[in-house]
Amino acid sequence: MLDDLNFIARCKKYNLGLWQCPNFLFLAMGFLTIVAMFGTYLVSKWFDNETVTIVSVSAVGMIIFTVGNFVVRGFEKVAEANIMKSEFISIISHQLCTPLSAVRWNLEILETEANGKISEKQKIFLENVKKSNDKMLKLVSDLLEVVRIDQGRSVFHMENINLVPLAEEIIDDLRHLIKLKDVEVIKKFDANLPQIYIDPKKMKIIMENLISNAVKYSYDGGKVEIKLYPEKKKVLFVVRDWGVGIPRYQHGRIFEKFFRSDNKSRYRTEGVGLGLYLVKAILKHFSGEVWFESEAEKGSTFYVSLPAI
Amino acid sequence: MNNLPKKKILIIEDDRSLQNALVEIMGQAGYQVASAFDGEEGILKLAAGKPDLILLDIILPKKDGYEILETIKKGEATKNIPVLILTNLEEIDNVQKALDLGATTFMVKSDFSLKDVLEKVKENLKQ
Repeated sequence: MLDDLNFIARCKKYNLGLWQCPNFLFLAMGFLTIVAMFGTYLVSKWFDNETVTIVSVSAVGMIIFTVGNFVVRGFEKVAEANIMKSEFISIISHQLCTPLSAVRWNLEILETEANGKISEKQKIFLENVKKSNDKMLKLVSDLLEVVRIDQGRSVFHMENINLVPLAEEIIDDLRHLIKLKDVEVIKKFDANLPQIYIDPKKMKIIMENLISNAVKYSYDGGKVEIKLYPEKKKVLFVVRDWGVGIPRYQHGRIFEKFFRSDNKSRYRTEGVGLGLYLVKAILKHFSGEVWFESEAEKGSTFYVSLPAI
Repeated sequence: MNNLPKKKILIIEDDRSLQNALVEIMGQAGYQVASAFDGEEGILKLAAGKPDLILLDIILPKKDGYEILETIKKGEATKNIPVLILTNLEEIDNVQKALDLGATTFMVKSDFSLKDVLEKVKENLKQ
């Protein structure tokens, strides 16, 4: 509460001038309203004259109206900054997509060896370039997906799908990471899993983020359990790890955009804090839900539920 | 291998590195390839080359992909040529606009490997 009153620090933090800063304007507005009330009361008491009272009330109204205008402008400024931020991310990401795709495609051409043989040693280095490039492509495509979802411009290609083959595909895609962390993946997939109606590409984002998080935040040599099973009229996708976990005081914030938990500073892991935000935002679109249980040093379990067909 | 005439592909893409890779892979797959770096060149080559399939970017100098698509679909001789959009604009409005204008399919460059693009080309040339 006291921190909220320190409007100078707040406005400085947001890089806004006083008369554009909602924190200051709200205080000014509140103060002015109180003074105006008392002022009007005193004026009407002293002068006991209707005209004077009406003029003073009108004058106060004008002042409040003017300050109110500043408040609206202040909010507009903040909203504009938010739009600009999204546009900035969108432009930069789009600009990065072309060169990153070009690197990927030209590497593929080299790999065909139609223009000359590549030595085994060179292949290792080319594979390194490819992996790094793929990481950048994934980051950029996550950023773009966030902007599209925020703007309601994401494309959804809906299909009836079974999540088991998709889960297998993702585990296979993540095999390098799994090997690197020496994590044992325990799969518990129900043989009679009902299909769900969803965009497979978006579902892949959800499952990939949750599985790769579980692997990344596991201790080396740990294990990750992935379950798919029906429950009532839903399909549940559950990912459990016994890794670093999320401190309790941060449980309320983990689905926020760009939020990364404190445990990450102790265990250096890659990521920008978009994965869980995307998971939640996408699930909202499919009437799905995500929740979790976690304890620091003990691990986390993430649950995703989606309507079965 | 066979004596059938080679199928012709027109690639309209302004990024040289992407175009080089596309031309190479299509050439390796045995297609006859023509390419253009901007919209106007694309339309000229479309008239001259009678391609069997077109790979089309959206953001292009001089004339954009949508304008080219309109020209293709208006021309009696060209309206049935499959047009595969290859872009990084994955927003719903862009996808919808391209499909409304008659594009056959919409591919996002950053999601597709060259192999995937080649597969799509083969798939659409079979029909």
